[in-house]
Amino acid sequence: MPRTDTDPLGDGLKWRLRAELNRVQPPYSSPRYLVSARHRVAVWRVAPAALAAAIVGMLGLTAYAATGSPNPVVWTQQIMTRIQPNSAPESTPATPGFTPTSRAVPPAPAPPTHEAEPTEQPEPSEEPQASPSPEHDSGGSGGSDDSHSTQASPSPGAYGGDH
Amino acid sequence: MSDRGAEYRPGSKDDFDRLYRTAYPRVYRTLAAVLADPAEAEDCAQDAFVQAFAAWKRWRPSAPAEAWVHRIAVNRAISLRRRAKLRGVGEVLRRLGRPAPPDDPADTATQPDILNALRAIPPKLAAAIVLRHYHGYNNREIAFALGVSERTVGTRLKQAGERLRAILEPSFSLAEGSAFPSDSRGSYAED
Repeated sequence: MPRTDTDPLGDGLKWRLRAELNRVQPPYSSPRYLVSARHRVAVWRVAPAALAAAIVGMLGLTAYAATGSPNPVVWTQQIMTRIQPNSAPESTPATPGFTPTSRAVPPAPAPPTHEAEPTEQPEPSEEPQASPSPEHDSGGSGGSDDSHSTQASPSPGAYGGDH
Repeated sequence: MSDRGAEYRPGSKDDFDRLYRTAYPRVYRTLAAVLADPAEAEDCAQDAFVQAFAAWKRWRPSAPAEAWVHRIAVNRAISLRRRAKLRGVGEVLRRLGRPAPPDDPADTATQPDILNALRAIPPKLAAAIVLRHYHGYNNREIAFALGVSERTVGTRLKQAGERLRAILEPSFSLAEGSAFPSDSRGSYAED
């Protein structure tokens, strides 16, 4: 290494520089990098719990904003009422006890009434079909045997007249 | 250099502890020559080791470990000096028109001349002087520690010597006349 030590400072100044810097004693202090390393490890240990707490807090705030109540029981009730309408059609045939409450809102009770009406409608339609026959009967003022007798009555008269 | 021949493994905490024990007093003395406040020098040295420890896994054994820490420390010291200079400008502007407070004579008497002179010149020049004449770094090591080329190191050493001479020559010429012999004024050759 061709380093020339013939420099502008000179030996006297170098000697004084070394002497003065040797007199400077670094104050004793614990290494800060160890503290920062411990702190970093502690942070990584706490991080999952902090993350979970943050998520729970966010969910709580969201539920509070959605329901307007700070009570978790109300939150669960709200969730249940929102989930149940989707599962109601599956549960109504199996559990008849819940059908009155669940059928109060949806138009589930309507089908029985609509089914009952068509059954009633054909009956009047059949009755008018049957009613003309009594009208004919009443005009004839008697049963079928009488009709035969009335139709036969002039004929014997005619027959009788013819005879 | 004290860690010449010392082998460190990147990422090894034991090796970093060893580096700290060896290099902390030397880094602190470099910073004490650059920064005026001892507490500031201590803070700066500790912060440099914190930063070095965070990057210890990325350190390459091809680079001298102590010079690497010196580089971090000197860069921090330069930033601190720059901030202190800006604060000083602010103080001057605040007390514009009023007379400046006189320096404490006790401080002036107790602080050594060379350290005061080193703190009066730019920190890059002061660090080059300390690294060369106190720690015994060669130009390559100084270049690595300061993040400059070896040619720049030569220039800086020359400039630092001239500035120090301008500050210290009157007192030295009175106190010890052979401090700056005319025949010893040469130039810093490249390593």
